[in-house]
Amino acid sequence: MNARWWVPFAFLAPALVGLAIFRFAPIVIAAVGSLFGTTLRGESVFLGLRNYTELFADPSFWSTVSTTLIFNLIINPFQVVCAMGLALLVERPTRFVHIFRASFLLPMTVSIALTSIIWAIMLDPTLGPVNGFLRWAGLPAQRFFRSPDQALGTLILVATWKGAGYWMVFLLAGLLSIPKDLYESAAIDGATGWQRFWRLTLPLMRRPLAFVLVADTAANFLLFAPVYIITNGGPNGATQLLMFEAYQAAFAHLNHGRSLAISTIILAIILAIAVVELRLFRPAEGSA
Amino acid sequence: MNDLARRRLLQGGLAAGALAAVRPSALAQQTTTLKVVWMGWPDNQVLPLMAEFEKRNPTIKLSVERMPFSQLFQALEVRLNARSGDPDIFIVDSPLTASYAARGHLMELDSLIDNNRFSAGGLAAARFNGKLYSAPFGSSMQVLYYNKAMFKAAGIEPPAPEPAKRWTWEQVVEAGRKLAKPAENIWGFTFEQQERPYQLLPLGQSLGGKALSDDGLKATGFIDGPAFVEAFTFMQKMYTEWKISPPGQFDPALTPELFGSGKCAMLLGGTFVYDTLKSKFPNLDFGVAPHPYFAKGKPVTPTGAWHFGVNPRSTQKAATAQFVRDMLSDDMNVTWFKLRPYVPTVKAVWQREAALFNTDLWRIAQSELDSTALPRPATPGFREYEDILRVTLRDLQAGGNVAQALTGAAQKMDRELAKYK
Repeated sequence: MNARWWVPFAFLAPALVGLAIFRFAPIVIAAVGSLFGTTLRGESVFLGLRNYTELFADPSFWSTVSTTLIFNLIINPFQVVCAMGLALLVERPTRFVHIFRASFLLPMTVSIALTSIIWAIMLDPTLGPVNGFLRWAGLPAQRFFRSPDQALGTLILVATWKGAGYWMVFLLAGLLSIPKDLYESAAIDGATGWQRFWRLTLPLMRRPLAFVLVADTAANFLLFAPVYIITNGGPNGATQLLMFEAYQAAFAHLNHGRSLAISTIILAIILAIAVVELRLFRPAEGSA
Repeated sequence: MNDLARRRLLQGGLAAGALAAVRPSALAQQTTTLKVVWMGWPDNQVLPLMAEFEKRNPTIKLSVERMPFSQLFQALEVRLNARSGDPDIFIVDSPLTASYAARGHLMELDSLIDNNRFSAGGLAAARFNGKLYSAPFGSSMQVLYYNKAMFKAAGIEPPAPEPAKRWTWEQVVEAGRKLAKPAENIWGFTFEQQERPYQLLPLGQSLGGKALSDDGLKATGFIDGPAFVEAFTFMQKMYTEWKISPPGQFDPALTPELFGSGKCAMLLGGTFVYDTLKSKFPNLDFGVAPHPYFAKGKPVTPTGAWHFGVNPRSTQKAATAQFVRDMLSDDMNVTWFKLRPYVPTVKAVWQREAALFNTDLWRIAQSELDSTALPRPATPGFREYEDILRVTLRDLQAGGNVAQALTGAAQKMDRELAKYK
């Protein structure tokens, strides 16, 4: 055995310490805290699983779970498809490709809070410029975030505007790492563009796609700012996501145990879905 | 110079030297800094007040942190739940007094406040379990602002300023339908605070509804009762059926802009909006009238506003006591009223500034305070109650079954209020 077996651990230590303090410790604290309640004077009281049983007996919680799952079932594939589309568009070294790459990345540089404020103003039903444009064009004004039917869809579009460029970067790196001679061989064999994409690009993009899908799922389950800033979970619960419910429980309803129980449930859901996604994207036996 | 004189000179020099050496640190000890969390009102409405306090109390410095309304309460929750001495002083929305006091976030102030100097309403909103926990620093009253030019153009006789001739809600809607042109983004009427229970509870109360049980711990059977269902259905129709009100304008800073810019003909807003309208829209010709009521009900108006409180964990006891005493003095309250005209809770302000109150606006406000003002429900769970109702009222604008929404809200409220039993 190498006498300096500890060297890799020494290099990893700062990152591991950071990970332990800023990631694992809060998870453990949240999981343990979800078994406690707080008295009015701030003292902790052990409640066992009561926070969970109360949540499971609450129809509004199940409605929030349902909204969160629907939101994620739509937004995650949608964002990955958009990111993949953008990556394919800017993959080829055409004349203005750098400008396009930069412009797709620009939303990433705007904070999520600012993004929310900008889109809240843009899509305001009464004063917003988007409806001003629609009225000017002779089209009916829309209620966007103020309509129970449009709010979730609008939230998905805004989150995708913000996120697609970011995920595009990872997929673009994946695309650029595919050896060009594979495409040349396929072209010589007479493969069409679609066949090259379906039989070559997609199988070779399994790993980047799996990473993007799992990371994107986690990010979207934790989406909070636009709901907090724009919709407050409404109208009529249309955008009531679990993260916002956890926030409300802690800071509006002063029920920290309930909030930590919701946070722990979110973590469990993300883990379960990530496992399923990774299995789906696992390379086939014998492939690279 | 003889020995005695030399010795005295030496002693004097040593004493002076010692004094010089000690003085800076002694002075530093005398100066106290209070951390103050305040509402995010504009610079010109806050800084002069704080500067005047520092001028009157040179040994107390104020480190003032102003927070926007939409984040103030959440930020205070985080800070107060840390249960440290930070902040020393914080602004208190008057109906939250019981909530903070029940959780040990407010110091009793009975020994610092002379009850005789304050209006009964102001003191009532500052009490919890019979003791004073917050310092009444202003109350509020809502009046109906109307745009004279828009009324004239539509050929509508505007509402009179006399409370005896106040409009009914039915009259507001009738006029609003003649004034509103939703397709052109012109509206007939808007509440200043479209989602806030403060402004909307009087609708149901006007129809005889009671917003919460007497012990402040039960909402079912109260906020979802027939009076509130009828009142909030009426409110909902303003957005969905009659289309006289602009939906989704939940920022209370925007609705006065709509009114001031001539896009809305009537605004039910606070007395403090008056000066904002005068300064931001100098050419706007507007009048004021009393708060409307339902024809089959009785006039009810909202009241209560901003108090401030002392963190019981603050280590600066003397300085916080001085802050309470001085900020509640007659002089400081006159200054505060001139900076931001909330309804004064210090009686002397009404007498000292009698000339300022000789207007329709203040005559209406005084009359309402005497006869129609009703504070928000007293409950230690007001924070939860208000948040749940606020979201429900916001949702109702978008349509949906009012009775079902209120029943759901009442159940949530009961769930959260249970912890105070």
